[in-house]
Amino acid sequence: MGGIYALMSIGLNLIFGVIKVVNFAHGEFLMLGMYIAYWAFTLYGLDPYVSLPLVAISILALGALTQGLIINPLLKTKEINQVLATIGLMIFLENLALFLWKSDFRSVLTAYSAASISIGEMRISFARLLAFAVAMGTALAFYALLTKTDVGRRIRAVAQDAEAAELMGIDHRRIYIATFGLGGALVGVAAAAMSPIYYAFPTVGALFGPTAFIVVVLGGLGSFIGAMIGGLIIGIVESIAGVLTNAELAKAFAFAIFLLVLFRKPTGLFGERARV
Amino acid sequence: MSEKKRLKMRPRSGWAAFLTLIVALALVPFLGPPPYVTHVLILVLLFAYLGTAWNLIGGYGGQLSLGHGAFFGLGAYTSTLLFLNYGLSPWIGMAIAAGVGAGSAALIGYPCFRFGLRGPFFALATLAFGLIVVELLTAFREITGGSLGIFPPYLGNVPHLFQFASKEAYYMIILAMWALIVLLVRAMRRTRYYLVAIREDEEAAAALGVPVRKYKLLAAVISGALSGIGGTFYAQYFSYINPESAAGLALSVEILTVAIFGGMYGLMGPTLGSAVLTPISELLRIWLGGTYLGVHLMIYGLLLILVIVFMPRGILGKLEEVLKRELEF
Repeated sequence: MGGIYALMSIGLNLIFGVIKVVNFAHGEFLMLGMYIAYWAFTLYGLDPYVSLPLVAISILALGALTQGLIINPLLKTKEINQVLATIGLMIFLENLALFLWKSDFRSVLTAYSAASISIGEMRISFARLLAFAVAMGTALAFYALLTKTDVGRRIRAVAQDAEAAELMGIDHRRIYIATFGLGGALVGVAAAAMSPIYYAFPTVGALFGPTAFIVVVLGGLGSFIGAMIGGLIIGIVESIAGVLTNAELAKAFAFAIFLLVLFRKPTGLFGERARV
Repeated sequence: MSEKKRLKMRPRSGWAAFLTLIVALALVPFLGPPPYVTHVLILVLLFAYLGTAWNLIGGYGGQLSLGHGAFFGLGAYTSTLLFLNYGLSPWIGMAIAAGVGAGSAALIGYPCFRFGLRGPFFALATLAFGLIVVELLTAFREITGGSLGIFPPYLGNVPHLFQFASKEAYYMIILAMWALIVLLVRAMRRTRYYLVAIREDEEAAAALGVPVRKYKLLAAVISGALSGIGGTFYAQYFSYINPESAAGLALSVEILTVAIFGGMYGLMGPTLGSAVLTPISELLRIWLGGTYLGVHLMIYGLLLILVIVFMPRGILGKLEEVLKRELEF
């Protein structure tokens, strides 16, 4: 799961770092991606790793549309408006899924879902290993895209100083659309890789969204080591929570950790002091 | 328009309109409306009440709270559990619920303002707080009945225990609550101006000597207390509460959508929003029944996006634009 959290978080971090918008609907992007993978498998027998490009492109389009139609018109307005718009999107997508597909848990059962590999005493689920490998591969490919290609350079330029980039002839609105789309594509890959190992249901986004937020808040902007530490802490929290027998208490505990993290690193991602 | 000029131009007819509205609404039960109409009107006033409470911190203060469902739910559980376990009248329970609402708002508000959480971060923190409350209400099932909720016993018409046989009595109570909250928020003139100053530019407000943290906390605490009171009313009226319906994120979103759709920058905005949205969501509930849960939330989500993009000041702001005057009183 660590790799999938990382991939989701990188997408969220990218959107936040470049556009300065917190995408509350990020978890719901994951949820939609998982449903696309599920339907591709159920209706057409496509393995999630075959439908992966389709899922990634669909969520890329969703992200680009979100930026182009909703966030771009709000760029010059108060920050609270952008927050509200993505909250609206979150509520809309979650209940759209509930409306279309009911609250059933749906899973993709591939031939390798139950398979595992033994290394000495350890047994590792093959599907999980594959998901981790794909997630890491995508993360590396994304890193290369950001550092080596022209689009990547433009995105980084806009992230550093949108006005200066504008003077250099970069249309920051178009870059924002590309950025939101890319962030969506990363979630799409995470969704496809996740579908053989986890159920799809309308509130699955609400379950994993907060985790991605924690990793981003912990990690800080574009910090690879931060993301690693974030992932590690989540792992520890989850194992502590696993000791607690009560599932609701475990969840409450995880959210409480999230709050503590927020309090300790307020607006830390901007790197500015915002205390009054 | 400067504040001074605006004050001078405030139409005096507003008072008359407000009083006429209250009298007209108070006369509705005497027309003998069908129970369902009374029910919808009760919900309209309840959400107008909750939206106005939210608006204090969310609209005037510009601090986007997703935790109001939690303050409301804690209020509902407080009075209900005190009644069931100790026989305490929910009227007294309501006062304690206000304290619990205020306390829980302070519990999340104080650290948020102390550590300077703003904008999306305040929203995230209150979202997490709301989720924690729902999980805790579910987890302590020996006391709260878990996710199945609680059914307080129906005792017939016992006014001193906040139970009435007729919907009309509940209608009159929520009408009074709504009128009082509108007057209360209206009376908090200085607090509102400070909050607006904080919303527009926190640093500038602080530099001009506005005690920023104090007023944000004050607004959050009052808003939380009022939401807790609303929770007690809800528990008494519905005689059933469970964690998701009384404290969940959906409720928080309904409250803020009503406020924002109506217009979060004006006193009567939330009321206007509730008057339009609540009947729509109730009608959808009848038409679609239980088969399509969440349809009204889907529409709320969509409306939220559309309102923010096309008329960020809500329908009240749009009306003011068209009429070219401030609809205050």
